[in-house]
Amino acid sequence: MSTCSVLVVDDDPSILTTVAEFLSLEGYPVQTATNGREALELVERARPSVVLLDMRMPVLDGWGFAEALQDRAISLPILVMTASHSTAQWASEVHAAGYIAKPFDLIDLLDAVEQVCAEA
Amino acid sequence: MSAISLLQFLSQLLFLIVFVVVAVKAVRQPRAATVDTALLFGAVSIIVAESWITTELHVTASHWLSAVIGSLLMALPYLLLRLVDDFAGVPGPLLRFTEIGLAAAVVGFFVLLPKFPAWLSLLYIAYFVGLTVYVAVAFARAARVSGGVTGRRMQAVAAGTLSLGLVLFMAGVQVMLPHRPSWLDVLALLFTLISGLGYFVGFAPPAWLRRAWQEPEVRAFLGRAATLPRLPTTRQIVQELERGAASSLGAPAAVITLWDHTDQVLRAYVASESFEVKPGEMIGGRAFATQRPLFWTDPARHDPAHADLYRQYNANALLAVPITAGEKRLGALVVYGPRASIFAEDDLSLAQLLADQAAVILESRALIDEATRVRAREEATRLKDDFLSAAAHDLKTPLTALVAQAQLLERRILHDPQAPTDLAGIQRIVQESQRLKRLVLDVLDVARLEQGQIVSHKETVDLVTLAHEACARHHSARYRCLVEAEAPAVGEYDTNRVAQLLDNLLENALKYSPDGGDVLVKVWRDDDEYHLTVTDTGIGMLPADVPHIFDRFHRGTNVDDRRFAGMGLGLFICRGIAEQHGGRIWASSPGLGRGSTFHVVLPAAPSGYLTDQTESEGSQQSMEAPLMAAQQTT
Repeated sequence: MSTCSVLVVDDDPSILTTVAEFLSLEGYPVQTATNGREALELVERARPSVVLLDMRMPVLDGWGFAEALQDRAISLPILVMTASHSTAQWASEVHAAGYIAKPFDLIDLLDAVEQVCAEA
Repeated sequence: MSAISLLQFLSQLLFLIVFVVVAVKAVRQPRAATVDTALLFGAVSIIVAESWITTELHVTASHWLSAVIGSLLMALPYLLLRLVDDFAGVPGPLLRFTEIGLAAAVVGFFVLLPKFPAWLSLLYIAYFVGLTVYVAVAFARAARVSGGVTGRRMQAVAAGTLSLGLVLFMAGVQVMLPHRPSWLDVLALLFTLISGLGYFVGFAPPAWLRRAWQEPEVRAFLGRAATLPRLPTTRQIVQELERGAASSLGAPAAVITLWDHTDQVLRAYVASESFEVKPGEMIGGRAFATQRPLFWTDPARHDPAHADLYRQYNANALLAVPITAGEKRLGALVVYGPRASIFAEDDLSLAQLLADQAAVILESRALIDEATRVRAREEATRLKDDFLSAAAHDLKTPLTALVAQAQLLERRILHDPQAPTDLAGIQRIVQESQRLKRLVLDVLDVARLEQGQIVSHKETVDLVTLAHEACARHHSARYRCLVEAEAPAVGEYDTNRVAQLLDNLLENALKYSPDGGDVLVKVWRDDDEYHLTVTDTGIGMLPADVPHIFDRFHRGTNVDDRRFAGMGLGLFICRGIAEQHGGRIWASSPGLGRGSTFHVVLPAAPSGYLTDQTESEGSQQSMEAPLMAAQQTT
């Protein structure tokens, strides 16, 4: 079991489940949230090593979540994961450590997570 | 010099000045009206000159000279009548009578002078006064129909002519009276002066006066013009401009011909007929090509090729000015009528002023059109961008899930070939591929819809049958789907598309009724239309959403995106299907939480037009076979 834990945030249940199951299979401790607010609650309870973050979500979106982290002075590497064609720009807006454009290959997702975990 | 002789001198001077002006014009623009005017004032000038000479030299005119002067005086009403004939026409018999009268008068002078009987003088005066009154009335009438400077000048000529008649009338009174009262002389002189002034203003108006007269016409034209560029079509603007130009110029007709850059022709509408001329062709084309105002009184001579056309429209006198905005040649304004105005040069300058205004109006219209086109293009681009980014996002989401889930399954097996089958994972793949399929088909339908091609193969089909079939597809334990119809509803429809429309409406009805419930489909006929409603007991709609729910990507504000999946294309496609069948669709809701009704209207088939295929299809499903059979026999 890796010591690098991952929080996956996405409002699409299929994507959320699949990514979570995959990362578990690869040996990462995984938590899931379907919006920014749920994610924030989880972060406050048990700090993950990295957040895989969808941007467009109901209740609290990716920008709101990143801002809330900043307000709470929580420093967490974020990997942005969106279907937008301006993924790179959105990633820079939330000072993300990296980004993965949907639809992605799981192997690329894994690479990105591994890299962030290595740096952390 | 006494006051009276000063008055006399002034009047005579006025007549001479008028003669100089009209003589110059007759030499420069020799046509009937200018030549006749010059002749008229030539005669007057000779009379004036004779009186000056005899007065200055203190000689008495010989009988012969008196006869010549008298003849010239008697010629004045005839020359005036010819002038009227030039612009308004004078009945032939009257013209002949006047000529004979003039000839008789001349003979009378030469034969009888110096012993001229008083009764004959009265007869001469009656002839003179009668004709001048006729001419004055003719000018006054022409003044009423003519606008602008021409109208004012006509009025002045009418006043001048009437005054001239009055002077002669007073001479007649003097003949009748045994003593000549001196006040009558003064009065006669006064009227001579008025006559001179009238003719001066009428035939030789100074430029400042013309401009002052033009101003109200241009102002009135501009008053109407302000609203013109907002008219719905350029054609309507042109019609208004034509009407305005004709009325300002007092002309029977005005035509605006506009340059069509694409076809490289000038196009005009005359009496709802479309005319096309090339630059340089006909008077409008020539004014356009040369960028000069033109005035023709003999179109057959200037443009023999189109002589028949000019005759057909009774256009004996034409005036054309180019309509040009800066460097941009827009077209030409052509004014025409059966006879030329006698003051064509004023009409020409007024027409040019109006044409310049018309150019401004047409240009602003063109700018408005261009702005509208740009806005429409921008809107279309924006819609396309919106569609692309929304479609991209909505397509990428199931695609992401699909790819990731498939790769996960593969990885699981690679990790542990003995692992149990991940049924949930496989089900997610099936579910996501279905979702993706629906989205892809919807997006393709929207693309087809935008080309107006969503309805392709129409066949005779019963809407009630389709409703039953669709209902059966959506019927379940949680949802009851009921069809209510009294008679088959047979028409010409694209079966697949109408089925798709019904499926979309029923899916929505079920999707937005999360607590289950009945969905009712009603079909009935009203006149030559079939009505079809789908009513649910679901979450309903906000009144503000109702008009927009058929717009692309529009979803009700009470629709929780995550609870109800969808791209907002379904109802947009439904509307396209209804409209491309020549029908319509709308929705209503009593309020939030109280259900919705979707209402579709499709045109019914022409009565008596049924095929065997329909009967067999219809009677299979319908309980109303006897009615079908009855329709079949008609």
